Amino acid sequence: MIGIVRFPGTNCDRDVAQWVHEQGDSYKFLWHLDRVADLSSFDALILPGGFSYGDYLRSGALAARSPVMASVREYAERGGAVLGICNGFQVLVESHLLPGALVRNENLRFIDDWVELETVSERGPWGENLAASPPTLRLPIAHGEGRFYASDSELNRLEERQQVWLRYVDNPNGSRNNIAGVLNEKGNVAGLMPHPERAIFSWMGSQDGRRFFARGGTKSHAGRG
Amino acid sequence: MAGAFLPVAAPNPTLEEDDMKEKLKHYRISEAEYERIGQLLGRAPAGVEWALFSALWSEHCSYKSSKVHLKKFASTLTPSVASAAGENAGIVDLGQGERVVFKMESHNHPSFIEPTQGAATGVGGILRDIFTMGARPIASADFLCFGETKADRMPQLVDGVVRGISGYGNAVGVPTVTGKTQFDPTYNRNILVNAMSVGLLLPEDPVALSAARGPGNDVVYVGAKTGKDGVHGAAMASESFAEDTEAKKPNVQIGDPFFEKLLIESCLEVIGKKLVVAIQDMGAAGLTSSSFEMAAKGGLGFELHLDRVPLRDLSMGPEEILLSESQERMLLVCEPAHFSELAEVFSRWGLDAVRIGKVRSAREMQIFWHGEKLAELDPALIVDQAPVYERPHGEWKSPRLRRADFSSARGARADAPPSTSAPTPSALEATALQPTALQPIMEQRLKSAAWGSRESIYRQYDQRVGGMTAAGCDHQIAVLRLPRSHRGLLLATGGRCSWLKRDVVVGALDAVLFPSLQMAVKGGYPVGATDCLNFGNPERPEIMTEFVASVEAIRDVCMALRIPVVSGNVSFYNETLGEGVTSTPAIGLLGLLPQVGCVGGEAATGENQPGDFFQREKSKLFLVELPWVEEENKLEWRLMSLAAAQTKSILSGIATQLAAIQHLVMTNQILSSQLIGEGGLAWGLAGFTKSGIGFRLERSTRDLVKDSLYQMVFEVDSRRQPDFSKLRALGLKVSEIGHTQANLIEAADWRMKVEEFWNQRRATMTELIH
Amino acid sequence: MKQSVQPSMKQKFGVRIMPREVILDTQGRAVEQTLRLEGYPPIGVRVGKYVELELEGPPDEARSTAEKIAQTLLHNPLIETFILETKE
Repeated sequence: MIGIVRFPGTNCDRDVAQWVHEQGDSYKFLWHLDRVADLSSFDALILPGGFSYGDYLRSGALAARSPVMASVREYAERGGAVLGICNGFQVLVESHLLPGALVRNENLRFIDDWVELETVSERGPWGENLAASPPTLRLPIAHGEGRFYASDSELNRLEERQQVWLRYVDNPNGSRNNIAGVLNEKGNVAGLMPHPERAIFSWMGSQDGRRFFARGGTKSHAGRG
Repeated sequence: MAGAFLPVAAPNPTLEEDDMKEKLKHYRISEAEYERIGQLLGRAPAGVEWALFSALWSEHCSYKSSKVHLKKFASTLTPSVASAAGENAGIVDLGQGERVVFKMESHNHPSFIEPTQGAATGVGGILRDIFTMGARPIASADFLCFGETKADRMPQLVDGVVRGISGYGNAVGVPTVTGKTQFDPTYNRNILVNAMSVGLLLPEDPVALSAARGPGNDVVYVGAKTGKDGVHGAAMASESFAEDTEAKKPNVQIGDPFFEKLLIESCLEVIGKKLVVAIQDMGAAGLTSSSFEMAAKGGLGFELHLDRVPLRDLSMGPEEILLSESQERMLLVCEPAHFSELAEVFSRWGLDAVRIGKVRSAREMQIFWHGEKLAELDPALIVDQAPVYERPHGEWKSPRLRRADFSSARGARADAPPSTSAPTPSALEATALQPTALQPIMEQRLKSAAWGSRESIYRQYDQRVGGMTAAGCDHQIAVLRLPRSHRGLLLATGGRCSWLKRDVVVGALDAVLFPSLQMAVKGGYPVGATDCLNFGNPERPEIMTEFVASVEAIRDVCMALRIPVVSGNVSFYNETLGEGVTSTPAIGLLGLLPQVGCVGGEAATGENQPGDFFQREKSKLFLVELPWVEEENKLEWRLMSLAAAQTKSILSGIATQLAAIQHLVMTNQILSSQLIGEGGLAWGLAGFTKSGIGFRLERSTRDLVKDSLYQMVFEVDSRRQPDFSKLRALGLKVSEIGHTQANLIEAADWRMKVEEFWNQRRATMTELIH
Repeated sequence: MKQSVQPSMKQKFGVRIMPREVILDTQGRAVEQTLRLEGYPPIGVRVGKYVELELEGPPDEARSTAEKIAQTLLHNPLIETFILETKE
């Protein structure tokens, strides 16, 4: 069972549900006001993309303060597998569950395109899942604030500790070190700007999104706190 | 208060004539309309009634100049159209329980004043028209016409409109999957911003309607609070631009896609739970039009308490509340027993639901302000009895029959300095009659925004949110995979300025034919259309003549192709200081593909989907031309015949030809297919080299540059020979014109690396939009 | 003592840009909503932006340039107002 976290303004929740369903897993939506004491029955939590709270103030900033995020934090601290996609990544960064910041694209515009990605780190459940297959994958991006930023010292630390998960082959948005996705120190929390849930059928243009789930869903890797 | 001008009971005999003139001007009511109001009410209008009549009798709300002609679209309706007469948008039944709701609407005037907010609220408004019927919006399209890039404010307008569409559409989570962006001097002072939205009803989804029912039911206001946004906006949209747009500042409405998203989810939830009796969005003329129309359609009345309307600006009076065009608001009717459950849903989404009145059995709208009755009148008087004008218009004659006008128009454009102005197709057409070399023509186009790549525009649109997009803006038409039946829903827009300019009837026919042919070359067929008719001042007979001719042309071609026109919008007064735009009827066309396949799939099992870009090197390229289009070097004759007496007989053959093309694509292994309709074969095909594969064409320079309405090209594996016999039997001309090759474009004297072609084309647009 | 005008004289300005009162402030509304969820009492929130300009030249001239920049580029008069402040 995968928990899909919805904030007001989340708009990829149904797409992520389709993705999970296609992998043969079941899902349950979690609402931003839900302060769930125990999420341990979930195999993983996913924060989908969208514009939570309209992305006002800063992307993900208002959502990071919602009650459900306190529950997500506890789940992550107990080792549970958490994945943030696009705006979900921004929320995790604003919640300090992931390092760095996501700022406006270098060209100051929203970018919708396909990108080529390189898998870098194989740590944690999310890293392992992708490690089992070829080192590159093709996914769509769609964001206005996806430029990964961290200070030089923090970037060095991330590289050293193998927290850089995915890199753009052709940097579309000016991200430092071409970073498209990162992991937390333990490797159980992951975030990426591209949308794997939009690449699961050949008619979509790529099926690489299917590689994010290990065979039989994420069950084998999920930490149950 | 406005009520001070006139007593309720009888006209004030002492009211000065000048005051009256002033008042009529303020409310934009003509003297004849004032008399009509007097007759309907049996007295002079009083108090807020002025504002009510002003708003609902505006061109924008009443369609008073177009109504008599729009009725002609009724003859296009087919049994697949689920009855939704007079509703916010049309519904087409696709079978298997899947139904689509769609409409296109203009937001031209607001976008010219404030491009970002104007375009954004245009997108928001059309989305509300869709989900108010219970359908989840699944795709948007846009139809944009801008002036020359050197025209005053034009770069800012282009940038602002694109930002508005992307900012709103992306955030609300509805993908923008296709569209058209044109540049032409005719839009220098009046841009066109038309937005289309498509919603999907799954088998279990109920349709929500707007006709109020059930006396005693609650009238409920939901969504954003009311502010002074766009007060008198509806009346403004019905006026031509004067030069003082600065003075119209307070009309700017601000859209909030975040609120819209909450509204979509909460409205769909309450409709799905069957808690709603009737619902309508507050669009133009806000609360006035929604409440009066809902009551009039239901043959009932409302009791409305304006003091209960949630306000953002507490200084607002009743007239402003009635006319406010604040965005993201809906009005609904529910049974009192369901109110608390309904309010709970909205509250969970962070929205207020406030009871502002009751449905009454009497056909009377009673409007209260802190207990005081401000007005009491039959809603039908304002809604159904709005004036209908048969504006003077003449017999339409093709410009080809008025040769003198045509050559002078063409001459004027050809005079423009070539270095700075976009070469219009008309100017090129002149060149095309005696072409000596391809190279200079192509080089000139590579420097012009009119011919530039639209990538920098649509790259700003989220094209894939929703998980249904199989083909987005990069493609000739959009394809969405329907979630249950897995059929392909096709979406395309039509209306090409260059052809409309030459001959509005040819252009109007083409607005339907071009996207229909685009669907056919992909193996699909059209199932329904919506229109957005952008014209100048309807009080000018020559404009009205073009309007009537366009409506009839669209009707004729839709009847021939069995395409129901289920919804639409008219935008008049697209003129500034007496200068109107080229009459621009835009079409939004929906189609079906029996199955969504993939490029390179097996045709025999229906899994092949011809690509848009060339797929392989050394494939054969076949050109297919329609018999009524191809008439060597006699462009003018051809257009004349298309638009005149022969139109009907030609159109009747088209349905068969389209079906034959569709059949060819479905049964043969086609690698890629293209429809070219402007700029000639060489330029057209160069646009399909994005995959990196080029081509070599074996035709004369003249053939390669010749402007034609429709040229279809099919890429086929060199070892295969498609069965063209049926097409040939129907009179279509099929010829092999060349082959694909690695990364090089070769056509007559034009030789260019594919990569170089794209670099140059992109650079031109990047100067405009980085 | 005041010195006479120097060629390298610099002047700092601050431009405070706010949504016009009559116009809906979508950001302010969203922030306000979140604050209410966090248990703060009903409050009014408006969100604007702040721009710092550094200009060279005599003070009067610099100020009128700043005014012009704010007027024509930094704010959109249809939906925003601005206040220009001179900084140390």
